[in-house]
Amino acid sequence: MTATGIAEKKVKNRRPANSTLSALPWIGPSLLLILLVVVWPAIELIRISLTKITSAGVLEGFFGLGNYRLLFENPDLKTIAVRTLIWVFAVVSITVALSLPLAQLINQNFPGRKFVRWAMIVPWAASVVMTSIIWKWILELTSGEFNLTLQQLGLQDGQPVDWLRDPRYSFFVLVWVAVFVSIPFTTFVILAGLQSIPNDIVEASQVDGAGPWQIYRRIKFPLLRNALLIATIINLINVFNSFPIIWALTRGGPGYDTDTMITFAYKMAFVEYNMGPSTALGVINFAFIMLIVLIYLRVTKATRDQA
Amino acid sequence: MKKIGLRKLSAVAAVALSASVLSVAPAQANTTIKIITPNYTDAMPAYYADLNARFMAANPTIKVEHTNLSWDDILVKGRTLVATDSTPDILNLNTFSDYAAAGLLYKATDIFDAKTMADFVPAFIDNSKYNGVAYAVPDLASARMFFYNKQLLYTSGVTKVPTTWAEVTAAAKKIKKKYPRVYPIGLPLGSEEAQAEFAIWTGGNNGRYFDDKAKKWVINSKENLETMNYLTSLVKAGLTQPSPASTNRTDAFKLFSQGRIAMINASVFFPSTLKDYKSKVDYGVAPFPHSPKGKPITLGVQDYFMAFKKPGNEAAVKAWLNFLFQPTNYAGFLRAAGGFIPATKSASSAVDSSLLPFIEQLPNAIFYPGDLAAWPKVSGSIQTQIGTGVIKDPKGVLDKIQKVAVEAGVK
Repeated sequence: MTATGIAEKKVKNRRPANSTLSALPWIGPSLLLILLVVVWPAIELIRISLTKITSAGVLEGFFGLGNYRLLFENPDLKTIAVRTLIWVFAVVSITVALSLPLAQLINQNFPGRKFVRWAMIVPWAASVVMTSIIWKWILELTSGEFNLTLQQLGLQDGQPVDWLRDPRYSFFVLVWVAVFVSIPFTTFVILAGLQSIPNDIVEASQVDGAGPWQIYRRIKFPLLRNALLIATIINLINVFNSFPIIWALTRGGPGYDTDTMITFAYKMAFVEYNMGPSTALGVINFAFIMLIVLIYLRVTKATRDQA
Repeated sequence: MKKIGLRKLSAVAAVALSASVLSVAPAQANTTIKIITPNYTDAMPAYYADLNARFMAANPTIKVEHTNLSWDDILVKGRTLVATDSTPDILNLNTFSDYAAAGLLYKATDIFDAKTMADFVPAFIDNSKYNGVAYAVPDLASARMFFYNKQLLYTSGVTKVPTTWAEVTAAAKKIKKKYPRVYPIGLPLGSEEAQAEFAIWTGGNNGRYFDDKAKKWVINSKENLETMNYLTSLVKAGLTQPSPASTNRTDAFKLFSQGRIAMINASVFFPSTLKDYKSKVDYGVAPFPHSPKGKPITLGVQDYFMAFKKPGNEAAVKAWLNFLFQPTNYAGFLRAAGGFIPATKSASSAVDSSLLPFIEQLPNAIFYPGDLAAWPKVSGSIQTQIGTGVIKDPKGVLDKIQKVAVEAGVK
């Protein structure tokens, strides 16, 4: 085939109708999968949120926005929504702040680096429920290792602190455990970013007399922008959706004091048997996630176009 | 509670085998019934495997598909079964009324003959009624009493087991003085069983959740507020374990078993739990303390068997439930469930002597308003919220739950 022939073919293939149709056999299966496991449940969720549903789970017909009205009448919703935002912001920002130096560290060459990298992956590879339960044991009131150690060191006199049940502490404990399970992924995304920085730029700046801090601040950090963006946005979604940590450690209690919108939706449906408003909250949570995904797509598109 | 290893496996295998044999049996008028039950203990799946194998051998035209779930799972599943069109034929659960209200259940008299019906303990059948008609039957019941650690009480100078609130406070203060690291009173108002914990304390002050005569919710009544204030005073004085609003019953039971809690409200099965925890605590059991205006009461709690109306399943669910309530099979059920009060008169005559003090308390029993369709929802709100009354605003919390209850209705 001549060069012109190839060019002509390319032009032909660019015609939308033709290309969409001819792509179908390739993207068809995944499209079907997406329709089945993403689009259909989403539609079902919205449909149920517009339906009147009893505590026995019996559907009693169209209810309009009734479930949403009931949800917004709930006096606790506002506090829980604010807490959810604080939760997401705190966990993501602390995670990123700790992961940046950690990635820097495991990017260095030192004996035992392989082992350190491997050890860092473990909390990520372990099931979140498992990690949460281990933390529950560590922080348990009378038999937990943490309180026992504090007592042996003489740092805690009198009654032990109830880390998991006392609302003054439990939210911070939850944030810490969430940071703990988020760090490995974040660190490795940033590490990948660090490794993609061409060595010659770094060397050139060294030749120009830049110190280590200057190199990090002016060369490496700006080049990490993409990795950081991806890590932040994926963490936003993960942390917002985070259910097992909270449920395993505090069940959102006492009352709703450590609930987020995710655990609250579950608690309403399956502890308080208040199914209707819970489905409405499910839709709102879903919409929030979609919003973050849209921002993610926008941002990655913008950086791609830039490149 | 009772662990079963190999026996459980082989029994499950036996059921699987008989099930597969049945499914290739020649075409008859075969009915398949789905049964979902909670695991009171780890011995339940093995018990049902054996029961179902014998049932299917005796009823070759009926196939049983049995699902054993943990309590946590069945409480969640119970809410989604109907909505997802996966309603079982027979369900064992702690509530029945909202299914009955939706018209999904057979009447108990459709399932059992008059003789069997007459054998159920009348109080338990009364609690299984919706609008005056029994739509479920009791499977077992529990009552609660006051458990105390003899050593901690007597060595602190408490000479008499407390019977009133004032005596509880006085004893708690003595214990705290002598043993600063012991929590004198266990007050688990965490969501696991807060509805029971509050009900038994307020019951001794004539407080209730629902007024049967006036047919209205009385959650924010004067009596309940008094109880809430009394419990708050215990918490403020440091006489309970920390964080009462988020301590679950299981957590508090563990503390009692370690000798860290001296007095606690616990159910009839608590002795067998203590045995499982290998607890060395020497405990005593007494009627639950009450306020000056109240009298000693116990909280009766029962669970239910219910059968869902589906075309063509009536004969099969009837056969299975009657099979289960045959005296020997039902005795096995009670054994597997571990230390509960029987729901039938015939089984009550043969109980373990440790159950007798609890059965003696039954005439003083108060019950949840489990016959109201609104109860599951109201109970859920009590569970998640009532505990915060003792750490925040006693009246505000009661008012909030009262509002939920009033909206849920009195049917």
